[in-house]
Amino acid sequence: MFANFDFEVILRSLPYLFYDGMTFTLTLTALATLGGIVLGTLLALMRLSGLPPLSLPAAGYVNLMRSVPLVLMIFWFYFLVPYIGQWVTGAARPIQVGAFVSSLVTFTLFEAAYFCEIMRAGIQSIPRGQVAAAQALGMNYVQTMGYIVLPQAFRNMLPVLLTQTIILFQDTSLVYVLSITDFLGAASKVAQRDGRLVEMYLFAALVYFIISFFASLLVRRLQSRVAIIR
Amino acid sequence: MITLSHVSKWYQSFQVLKDCSAEVAKGEVVVVCGPSGSGKSTLIKCVNGLEPFQEGSITVAGVGVGDRKTDLPKLRARIGMVFQHFELFPHLTVMRNLVLAQVKVLGRGSRESEERGMKLLDRVGLREHAGKYPGQLSGGQQQRVAIARALAMDPIAMLFDEPTSALDPEMINEVLDVMVALARDGMTMMVVTHEMGFARKVAHRVVFMDEGRIVEDAPTADFFQKPRSDRAQIFLSKILQH
Repeated sequence: MFANFDFEVILRSLPYLFYDGMTFTLTLTALATLGGIVLGTLLALMRLSGLPPLSLPAAGYVNLMRSVPLVLMIFWFYFLVPYIGQWVTGAARPIQVGAFVSSLVTFTLFEAAYFCEIMRAGIQSIPRGQVAAAQALGMNYVQTMGYIVLPQAFRNMLPVLLTQTIILFQDTSLVYVLSITDFLGAASKVAQRDGRLVEMYLFAALVYFIISFFASLLVRRLQSRVAIIR
Repeated sequence: MITLSHVSKWYQSFQVLKDCSAEVAKGEVVVVCGPSGSGKSTLIKCVNGLEPFQEGSITVAGVGVGDRKTDLPKLRARIGMVFQHFELFPHLTVMRNLVLAQVKVLGRGSRESEERGMKLLDRVGLREHAGKYPGQLSGGQQQRVAIARALAMDPIAMLFDEPTSALDPEMINEVLDVMVALARDGMTMMVVTHEMGFARKVAHRVVFMDEGRIVEDAPTADFFQKPRSDRAQIFLSKILQH
């Protein structure tokens, strides 16, 4: 069955696939996760603030982001970000930000909505008494959140946050719509060039599977490591 | 030290506190008791502003708790509070629990804070547990750490909200012993509790609450010997029977 297949193509393109492609994919995943968690936590705090001028925009943002297809967002932002840049800086022409920055902005903003919901659940899982105890010690809002609530919420939610990161890792392959050379993009380019579609896509799938699978295993191991002793 | 005058509080249409007035003088130990749902926990939480109230006023060391201008965190830092469910921070070691607010709120150096923390742990008999996490301690030990944590802030008064209610019977005494020692040292204390033995031993006065009202406010001896109100009599007869 595999007689007509040339798996040599994979070997030949390994440096390109991993050095160019996977580096991009992992960088994008890591940075978007970091940005998404920071922004998502802020959004979660806004949603839980009980102040309508803060909670309503945050809720609106999250709902909007969660109801738009990611591909559409990637597309949109690619064409939109230069104009926003122009508008912000007051430049004469659209600011060219490049595909990487554009997709980083998109994924950060998009993932923030999901991380927001995770962090919101995490914050709500902390007993009210913890906040009361922090306040009784004279801590203000920022200290209470920063030292008491968020560290606990973050630990409780770490497995879910990392699982979301694994999903994000897979989702980054959608940047193919901007013909960016991420891992899948690189595989795709080699596949087209050498006419080895089946081999390359099989291999790409295998790599995504292996990385995601072992990352999930790692998350489960980590879960028991960081758990708060009760 | 603590003055409550005509404090009323509502949860929507339900009135939890009705015109409560009381006073705790410096160095005085006042026990607040009453049947569950009588509003005693709510009352004590109003004293450091953890619960808002709609009418009346509370002052602690001359500072109005309900005043808009009052810097509540600053005031709270001077009032120690111990909770029913301990509320130690489970992600921090015992020592970090004691040090955190000293450093972040009072601005003390970490060396000094740790020395102070160690001294207080010694005082509550838990010196060797400094490096453990709260989850590794028994309930009684956790509550003693919580008392030490409050004391580390050098409070001018201490509030206790049912400090022994969540404890197994055999652990109640170790916590009460710490509280008795504290009272004997002249700490100003307001204690919500059902432990009548504790009240008898160290309280100067007992405040009895029922249905959101302060029904009786009497010197300890008077309260136990000849409670004036019927409800206090019934309460005492029920609680002291065994």
